[in-house]
Amino acid sequence: MYFDPNEYLLNPIISVLNWVVVVGCLTFVVLFVSMVNLIATRGASGVGVFFDELGGMVTDLFQLSPRRIWALTRLTYTEAIRRKALAVFVVFGLLFMFAGWFMGDTKEIKPDQVKVYISFVLTTISWLTLPVVLILCCFGIPEDIRLRSIHTVVTKPARRVEIVLGRMIGIWLIGCLVLAVMAIVGHFWIVRQIPAESQSLLTCRVPVYGTRIDFVDREGNAAKSGVNVGDIWVFRSYIEGATKARAQWTFRNVGESLLDSDGNLNFENSFSAFRSYKGDMTRPLFYDIRLINPEKNLAYTTDPQPVNEFRHKLDTIPRKVTIDGTQYDILKDFVTDRKELHVEVSCIDREQYIGMARSDLFIRMPDRQFWMGYWKAILGIALTLLLITMIGVSASTMVKGPIAAVLTFVIYFLSLKDNHQFMDQLVFGQVQGGGFLESVYRLVMHMGPSQELPANPAFVVVKFFDWVLNNFLWLCRHVIPYSQYFNMPEFVSNGFDVPWDTSILPSLLVTSAFIIPCVLMGYFALRIRELESK
Amino acid sequence: MSQSETVIEIRNLSKVYRDFWGRPKVRALNALSLDIKKGEVFGLLGPNGSGKTTTLKLLLGLLFPTEGEVKILGKSAADVSKNERIGYLPEESYLYRFLNAYETLDFYGRLFDMTAAQRKERSEKLLDLVKLAPQSRRRQLKEYSKGMTRRIGVAQALINDPDLVMLDEPTSGLDPLGNRDMKDLILDLKAQGKTVLMCSHLLADVQDVCDRIAILYGGELKVMGRVDELLKAQDETQIRSSKLSEAAEKEIQEVLQRHGATNVKVDQPTASLEDLFLKTVQESRERPGHRNVTDNQSVS
Repeated sequence: MYFDPNEYLLNPIISVLNWVVVVGCLTFVVLFVSMVNLIATRGASGVGVFFDELGGMVTDLFQLSPRRIWALTRLTYTEAIRRKALAVFVVFGLLFMFAGWFMGDTKEIKPDQVKVYISFVLTTISWLTLPVVLILCCFGIPEDIRLRSIHTVVTKPARRVEIVLGRMIGIWLIGCLVLAVMAIVGHFWIVRQIPAESQSLLTCRVPVYGTRIDFVDREGNAAKSGVNVGDIWVFRSYIEGATKARAQWTFRNVGESLLDSDGNLNFENSFSAFRSYKGDMTRPLFYDIRLINPEKNLAYTTDPQPVNEFRHKLDTIPRKVTIDGTQYDILKDFVTDRKELHVEVSCIDREQYIGMARSDLFIRMPDRQFWMGYWKAILGIALTLLLITMIGVSASTMVKGPIAAVLTFVIYFLSLKDNHQFMDQLVFGQVQGGGFLESVYRLVMHMGPSQELPANPAFVVVKFFDWVLNNFLWLCRHVIPYSQYFNMPEFVSNGFDVPWDTSILPSLLVTSAFIIPCVLMGYFALRIRELESK
Repeated sequence: MSQSETVIEIRNLSKVYRDFWGRPKVRALNALSLDIKKGEVFGLLGPNGSGKTTTLKLLLGLLFPTEGEVKILGKSAADVSKNERIGYLPEESYLYRFLNAYETLDFYGRLFDMTAAQRKERSEKLLDLVKLAPQSRRRQLKEYSKGMTRRIGVAQALINDPDLVMLDEPTSGLDPLGNRDMKDLILDLKAQGKTVLMCSHLLADVQDVCDRIAILYGGELKVMGRVDELLKAQDETQIRSSKLSEAAEKEIQEVLQRHGATNVKVDQPTASLEDLFLKTVQESRERPGHRNVTDNQSVS
């Protein structure tokens, strides 16, 4: 399985829009449910109470006391520790004591083994901290209500918002404490597992990806993509060898900062080879890289380079290159006035193909220390914990602990990549067989997904309900976070640094999108319900 | 705030508990109206299920009224800012069992935005006031006896030096010594000019400390007034004196009968059981080993 960093990259503008949509949808849901609840329990006067509470919340926001929030944070923190939440370290310790036995030979380390080590540590940390936080955040407030301890808090000047915030911060802090200890141990474990001579494998590559990729077909005409060689994964397009076919990358903002310490420009690729005939299997396929400047009509072509199948390949181009006896500076002569660098790659071997995608070729900046990427990955886990904490705490203000835990788990489960993408397919009508009711009908009646439904009024109703459910799903799709945004460990285990601008900052933005609605939800739930255990 | 100022104002307060489907299940309180003035100790009396605790919770905003209106210190029950001047002791001391006494008071002190120095000083003072033994103060509350939990509960209710103290069954779970301490504390609060509202079904406790009482039954107010007036037997006369001779007692009886008195009974007054218990404990402390057993059959 390939790692495709582009899949994880977020456009900051899209993130902002996502933020607005999430905040808007969640806030709408919270306010709507609160008003319905108030009308159901208090009749027509519920509308007035709703607006009073809304005003009350605004007032409360201006009267928030950091000291009270911190008191509730400390309470949560102390509670978790004294209720033995830190017992999770026992499991962690056991796993790490014996993990080395099952993870291969430590005398001869290969790059893939390093990936397994890093992946094991980060996955273990995630899967141990997430349940702890899930349990703490879902059971804290319901237990307070059940034992009526909350009576002694709400009869003090503590605002409901402060209770919710205090709980959230406290649980997140305990999660972060557990996370930090595990991360430190995990870091030492990784470094210790890898012999000194292989430590160079622990690195964080810093890629600069092309902003776009274009294709040219075998006739030399612009094309939407390369050749489809029947690979079921459509991620890559294939370039036919010894023709005019090529892939063109455009890199923006190319400057001195992208050069290594020797002043060279390094390109790394992970092209894939596809052979249309067997030939000499010991001989690799070859490609060449061409730097072009359309404005000056300049082109520099590298020597043919072998494709490293299933591995990364680094091509170094010196800053000064010679073309027909004239020396050119890559940055001055090949970077256009718009600070763009155009790079073309073509396949040299006749009737053979090389597969390329936008992320298959990037400029590799000087590597960063492993620990930098590692701790950014830990930040990704911390953000996931924060998200779960916010959702769990706000859910626990409305329902009992076990129900809140199931609800939070389901939201997290739906946020996982495959599930979220399946929701996308349902929402955008990419799944054959129609909506929920239509699918049920087809199943019961043994109708294939492509068969036409009989045209009668019953199906108008079915279609209508499917339309309503689909819109509800649209709402869910927007309010359920996409956990892949937070999957920073993937970068590190694949040897990449985690980019701030396209991964960490957008993730922070997505997380922040949940703060307002979750606090609002917690406030309303605690205000409009009678805090009696029932 | 003047002495006659109303601290709690309840008008036509009703509470109906409903089931899951919103159907009325029980009317816990029915059209209750009363005022409580500043500086008085007011007792809410009634058997279990009469609506005492419900009234208290409605006042504190823990429950929402079905009908009626409540004003505490001039503010609505839903107004959080009123809590700045209120202290509340729940029926059970619903405290955080994993905290110790200092941590408990520190936590509640922070909720009142008190500084660290204020919290420390106030905590020590209150723990002394409720007579919680110094060696118990660092133990987690889950290790406390019911009486100790009650004491720390009282301390948390007074952490903010409140103007209005609401006590739900304050003497519940206390031994007679603790009971007396609690009553002394309530009288002390009254002496400081604070208003106390207490719920109890232990009549002797209420009688000892309350200025006024209200008796609830089935969620309805049945009796309300000053304790001394309510308890005064209008159709009887009591004469008390130091110990008299038998001849003097006989002579007094004759005089009373001459004036038409009926049901005349002349004997020695008895102390309450609480008084006897306290006296015994006091004597035991002063004279260890001393016994005063009057009923020999009860001693094996």
